[in-house]
Amino acid sequence: MKIISLVPAISFILLVLAQVMVFNHLHIFGEINPMLYLLFFFVYRFESEQTVLIGLAFLLGFLIDFLSQTGGAHTIATLTVGFLRPLIIRYAFGVTIETPQSYFSDSRTLNKLIYLLLLVLLHHSLYFTLVYFSWEALSLIAKNTILTSIFSLILIGITLSFYPNKK
Amino acid sequence: MQRILNALLQFRNPILYYFLLGLAISFAYNRSPFHEYNIEKYGFFFSSKLYAARDGISQYFKLSIVNQQLLEENKRLKVNELISSEILLYPAALKKTKRFPFNVKKARVLKNSFQNQRNYLTIDIGSIDGVKPEMGVISNNGIIGVVHSVTDHYANVISVLHQDLKINVRATKSPAFGSLVWSGKKPHEFRVEDVVSNANIKIGDTLITGGMSSYFPLGIPIGKITRLDKIEGSGYYSIDVELFEDLSQIYYVYVLENIDFQELQSLQKKLPQ
Repeated sequence: MKIISLVPAISFILLVLAQVMVFNHLHIFGEINPMLYLLFFFVYRFESEQTVLIGLAFLLGFLIDFLSQTGGAHTIATLTVGFLRPLIIRYAFGVTIETPQSYFSDSRTLNKLIYLLLLVLLHHSLYFTLVYFSWEALSLIAKNTILTSIFSLILIGITLSFYPNKK
Repeated sequence: MQRILNALLQFRNPILYYFLLGLAISFAYNRSPFHEYNIEKYGFFFSSKLYAARDGISQYFKLSIVNQQLLEENKRLKVNELISSEILLYPAALKKTKRFPFNVKKARVLKNSFQNQRNYLTIDIGSIDGVKPEMGVISNNGIIGVVHSVTDHYANVISVLHQDLKINVRATKSPAFGSLVWSGKKPHEFRVEDVVSNANIKIGDTLITGGMSSYFPLGIPIGKITRLDKIEGSGYYSIDVELFEDLSQIYYVYVLENIDFQELQSLQKKLPQ
């Protein structure tokens, strides 16, 4: 318990700082800011208490909104992703959700990829819908969601390869 | 009682989720100005510290661009100096000296956003330097925004790239006035609303500040008209505007302090509501 929860705790703080200080200012192609902080939902253990995760998701989104002075879109999107995470996990990894932690590190890359893809797409579509919040901007929402998702996925993939292998 | 507790425990996740969701939505859409101001002040205090640290590094790499801007501005000031020296030769044109109720303060931009729907800038002067909320902010090429909140050494400025900010403008050749608003999509696309359709304006005309708000004096050039349509049956023009200022490249700004601000406010209060 003590040692395992250290990695998510440090990740949490580092991800908030990295997002606010660096990745909110990248402006790739002029407008794309990848969202690295979704990595937290990957680092946080799958069989952990769901209630705690919802609270943490809220805190994560709130801190990022707070420090980058955005209205509250990060909070709502992150909170919803946190709440729906068991559903996404079930969809991506099959019915064997009550698996031990080791299952996760053994499972195939494809499953992880589907999980990450669903997570990022859900979060980004929610986020950009909330940011623009008008029917006129529908194409803009779709465009931003897809482009930002691609860059977020790449970034999360790269960062994941630096993580200690949990065995 | 036991049953209620059991049910609560069983559905604690959805309950927690909807509670926090409600909280987040109320934060986002029903924020009272007072709480918004107070909460943002703390968030802003931390983020401005962070940005000040980051800025120390990035400032070094911007030196050449800033130099160019300073040169450009010096050049224009030189022109003004020449014009005023010419006026000195013909003082008859300026017999009545007008009162100019604005003080100018120089500030550096620490943080500038232009990607969101509601954008803010952070500048490096604050209440110690005499900055107060609701002061106008301009740059050498036009207007930047209005001061929103202030700490001791920093101030937060609502950018003109903010969907809720309206600025009183007019054209140089016609006194008809309207409000400049951002369409919220691209940083250079602006609209002017509420200009009556019998006003004598053309495409390419320069827009200046109208001087009817207490934020900006009359006559600061803002941009030029790129499209002009009469809306059938409404009696108003639909106008698209392109700004002179590139809002993604601002490093130095000027804060305008209106000396008569209190006086104007108290006068406003005397109006019947």
